[in-house]
Amino acid sequence: MKLLRTTLWYAVSIAVCVVFLFPVYWMFAVSLKRPEEIFRSPPAWYPSDPQFGNFVVLFTDGDVWTIVNSLVLAGSSTLLAMAAGSLCAYGIVRFHTGGEHLATFLIAQRLLPPIAIVFPLFLVYAQFGLADTHGGMILLYTAFALPFVVWMARGFLMEVPLELEDSALVDGCTRFGVFWRIVLPIARNGLFATAVFAFIYSWNEFLFALVMTRNEVMTYTVQISNYFGPQSTFWAKISAMSVLGMIPVMLLVAAMQRYLVRGLSLGAVKG
Amino acid sequence: MSPAAVAGTVAPPRAPSHAGGTRAAGVAYVAPAVFVLVLVGLLPFLWSIWVSFLNLAGSTRSGDFVGLANYQKLLSDTKLWAALGRTFLIMAVALPVQLVLGMLLALHFQAERPGKKLFVALLALPAVISPMVAGSMWRLMFDHRFGPVNQMISAFTEKPVVLLWVVKGSLPFWSIVVAEVWQWTPFMFIILLAAIANVDRDQMQAAALDGAHRRHVFWYVVLPAIRPVLIIAVLIRALDLFRLFDVVWQLTKGGPGNRTETISVYMYIQGFQGFQTSYVAAIVVVLAIVLSSVLMLALRRVRLDR
Amino acid sequence: MAIDIKTKVLGATALALTLAGGAQAQDQDAATRAIEAAREFSGSTITVVAEAGLQALLDKQITGPEFEERTGVKVEIVELPFEEIYPKQILEHQAGSGAYDLMLVAPAWLADTVENGAVVDLQPFIDKYGVPAEDEDINPAFRDYQFYDGKQYGMMVDGDVLVTYYRKDLFEDAEAAAAFKEQYGYDLAPPADYARFGDIACFLTERHAPDIYGAGVINTGYMFLMFSERFRVAGGKFFEPETMRATINDQTAVDVLTQMVEQNACMAPGIETWGFAENLSALNAGQIAMTISWPPLGRWSQGVNIDDEALSWVPPTTVADKVGYAINPGGHPELAVGFMSSVATNSDNKDAAYLYGQWMHSRAQSLKNVMRPVGLRDPFRISHYESPEYQALWPGAKDYLTVLNEGAAQGLADFAWIDTYRYQDAMSRAVIAAISGEDPKEALDALAAEWDALTDEIGVERQRAAYEAWAAKPSAYRDE
Repeated sequence: MKLLRTTLWYAVSIAVCVVFLFPVYWMFAVSLKRPEEIFRSPPAWYPSDPQFGNFVVLFTDGDVWTIVNSLVLAGSSTLLAMAAGSLCAYGIVRFHTGGEHLATFLIAQRLLPPIAIVFPLFLVYAQFGLADTHGGMILLYTAFALPFVVWMARGFLMEVPLELEDSALVDGCTRFGVFWRIVLPIARNGLFATAVFAFIYSWNEFLFALVMTRNEVMTYTVQISNYFGPQSTFWAKISAMSVLGMIPVMLLVAAMQRYLVRGLSLGAVKG
Repeated sequence: MSPAAVAGTVAPPRAPSHAGGTRAAGVAYVAPAVFVLVLVGLLPFLWSIWVSFLNLAGSTRSGDFVGLANYQKLLSDTKLWAALGRTFLIMAVALPVQLVLGMLLALHFQAERPGKKLFVALLALPAVISPMVAGSMWRLMFDHRFGPVNQMISAFTEKPVVLLWVVKGSLPFWSIVVAEVWQWTPFMFIILLAAIANVDRDQMQAAALDGAHRRHVFWYVVLPAIRPVLIIAVLIRALDLFRLFDVVWQLTKGGPGNRTETISVYMYIQGFQGFQTSYVAAIVVVLAIVLSSVLMLALRRVRLDR
Repeated sequence: MAIDIKTKVLGATALALTLAGGAQAQDQDAATRAIEAAREFSGSTITVVAEAGLQALLDKQITGPEFEERTGVKVEIVELPFEEIYPKQILEHQAGSGAYDLMLVAPAWLADTVENGAVVDLQPFIDKYGVPAEDEDINPAFRDYQFYDGKQYGMMVDGDVLVTYYRKDLFEDAEAAAAFKEQYGYDLAPPADYARFGDIACFLTERHAPDIYGAGVINTGYMFLMFSERFRVAGGKFFEPETMRATINDQTAVDVLTQMVEQNACMAPGIETWGFAENLSALNAGQIAMTISWPPLGRWSQGVNIDDEALSWVPPTTVADKVGYAINPGGHPELAVGFMSSVATNSDNKDAAYLYGQWMHSRAQSLKNVMRPVGLRDPFRISHYESPEYQALWPGAKDYLTVLNEGAAQGLADFAWIDTYRYQDAMSRAVIAAISGEDPKEALDALAAEWDALTDEIGVERQRAAYEAWAAKPSAYRDE
């Protein structure tokens, strides 16, 4: 009976994973197929002759630059959002700055659909020459990540024992010193998880990039959308670029496995 | 001197406490974040309010004040209301399915068995992939010739099936729902998994000892305990579904015709392809009012519950 | 008016050349002049708009790098999907971003683009660098496209016209021909009208499916083009000229759209999802007997000049020498899109941008461009049609070029008035809705309502003036 239940549990678990991972598998499989095999009907379940030609094309065409752009934008904006966000969270936790109003203001940022913000923002950006620049996009992504970072960091900072801070202050530490030397190290793991999620969200972003980037800082998500056209659907490039876009996220999630549940849920739950 | 250093000197060193006294000092801490959010979030919104009373559009850029004309147009814009209705319809279908599937998975994975962590990590994957990539993925899955979905269906029906997922009848709607459910069920699952794991074990065991059926334990012990988490998770997903854009853009671009236009897609088309600057601004303002009232009500309920 | 200006230009340039004593300069063609003049801007960068996908490959991989190598001017390509080209260019202009130096303008958008102030009069640049003699060479069907209100704003780089492609081997099969005549009472030949297009599609499908289907069509992209050709060939008019109410839901329109939808039934399963590439693949793979598409299919199905790694996704042709070319059913093919280069008002490197445009537009360089399948640039100069080099590319090349030339001469211009883009977009959506199952009458009623709303918004009087100006052109309706 127990054995049966165990077997059943594993069977269900595996089945569920297969269902949810199949589309991901399919994307990988297509990216390794030869072009003529991609356009075979009915489709082949696995690449008969796996090869990296579809990826090589991305490099020779220079399309892979869009991955670098995404990396730069997501990386820089994450650093900035973490800096500004954890400071802000500390202000909220220790000084109750802004009280209810600040909390409402932060929630409000998550409230409106991005399309509502990006439309007026585009006109302003284009006017000031900020569209399709690294600076402009990093600013945008920083703002995009901030409410989330503050929300998350607030949860982690609240867990830092007040007594530790008090005793440090008594020892003559400045308030910022306390933040820097006591609070941050304690909340390190949680903040790191926060940063990873902030990075992933910016990395995945599409609408802002679609509107704001053209060439100089075009992200990989926009590049993929350009492969779909009335002329043609470049499945080989779409799949290869998508795989390149998924790999960093997969690695991060694998590394962050311990914080995955906590990271996702804390950000959502603590309020 | 950095703002933080200023804060350090201003804050009375011996009176750090949760409440009172040091609010002014906190301002320096929150200032950078608030500055960025005002610049990139609030100002564009205020600008939208102003523009919604003008008649900025395409080549007619006179910018005259037209009062509530854009709002009047909005009331009689059937395509707008259809898009809004469709957005809620997708929400009404996808959200309960995500919730129930996520809950079932969370209950299933309460068991502590070797390999559980691996399963959980694998299942989390869809939720961290770019929605845009997910949309492309499902476009590939649903391709009637080169995609596997029709082939799988054919295997069941034992004759070749050619379903035009992103084209025919109500299929485009369902392909969007499938992609949504696939991507965000894992999100629900992860959150509920943690929430259920946090439910007081003693209480559950006590209930079980009292002879309560497992189903009753779930309904009367687990569910009430995770209710706040549940509500917030649903709220987050509802907001995300409300802004649904990426997946639709990749699968159908709102077509065929206008049949899968969500509110975000509609606004994109009006704003960036139709140049209806002022009109889109008016939609933004109305959405903001509606959404904030709904959210305030919802949050108030959650707080009262606690 | 255009002629007028051209004569003046010709005179002025001749004078300038004489004054410069440039025997050397006179010999130079527009391509060489563009390259030499552009060297002055070496080290600068120009941003050029290209249609995302195949069009852009030409600039990105071939002409852009070559221009940079020869002049030192770096060419950056911004790819925009077709439906984003016009709106993004206008939005960027309105926002004053100066993002693009050389814009990509379809003839149907030129009036709107100029009215929005997004592009500049090219005359000063032509005076400075142009070789007006090369202008005479442009197919008259396309030459006027470059002008708006008497001034030149565009340089053709791609002359489009839809073409009917058919499999000669299948059409010439004696047994099939006899059976066809028996059944339909006329000869099996490239269809003279769209009803026959449907007959042939059904007949050949019945005969060869599932290996070969009687016809393939494009059903997902650029649909306003397909519909507006068939509608006009059937005698349809877009507006009632008095009231400016849309008449695209009259009986003619409903019949045409119904016929389009019904003919899909005789084609391959899933035809509703075919775009340009699917259709091309099917032709190359020998899976369709007939299709209507853009000129590059002729080069592609013949397999000429395919030397590009990036094109490996296109199935190699199995139908070389088997494809015949014909003018579309009804005799008045859509001059579908076509592209011109225009210099952006907000560009801060206008000369270099213009020179890249002139180079791509020039007789020598454009011939190279239109002989490749990649890039989708198609003949627009008399010298293209008459080029011995082109005609020798493959045995059927001469026929192909003749069909392109004559088709263009009889072609129907894309409709163009105020805010054309929005009318195009609405029409495409309605046609696609009908193809994917909506009732044609309902789809067209909704379309007419949408057009009327647009017209009211723009102003009936304004739009009527613009419409009348367009409708007065011989290529608007081709009424006998």
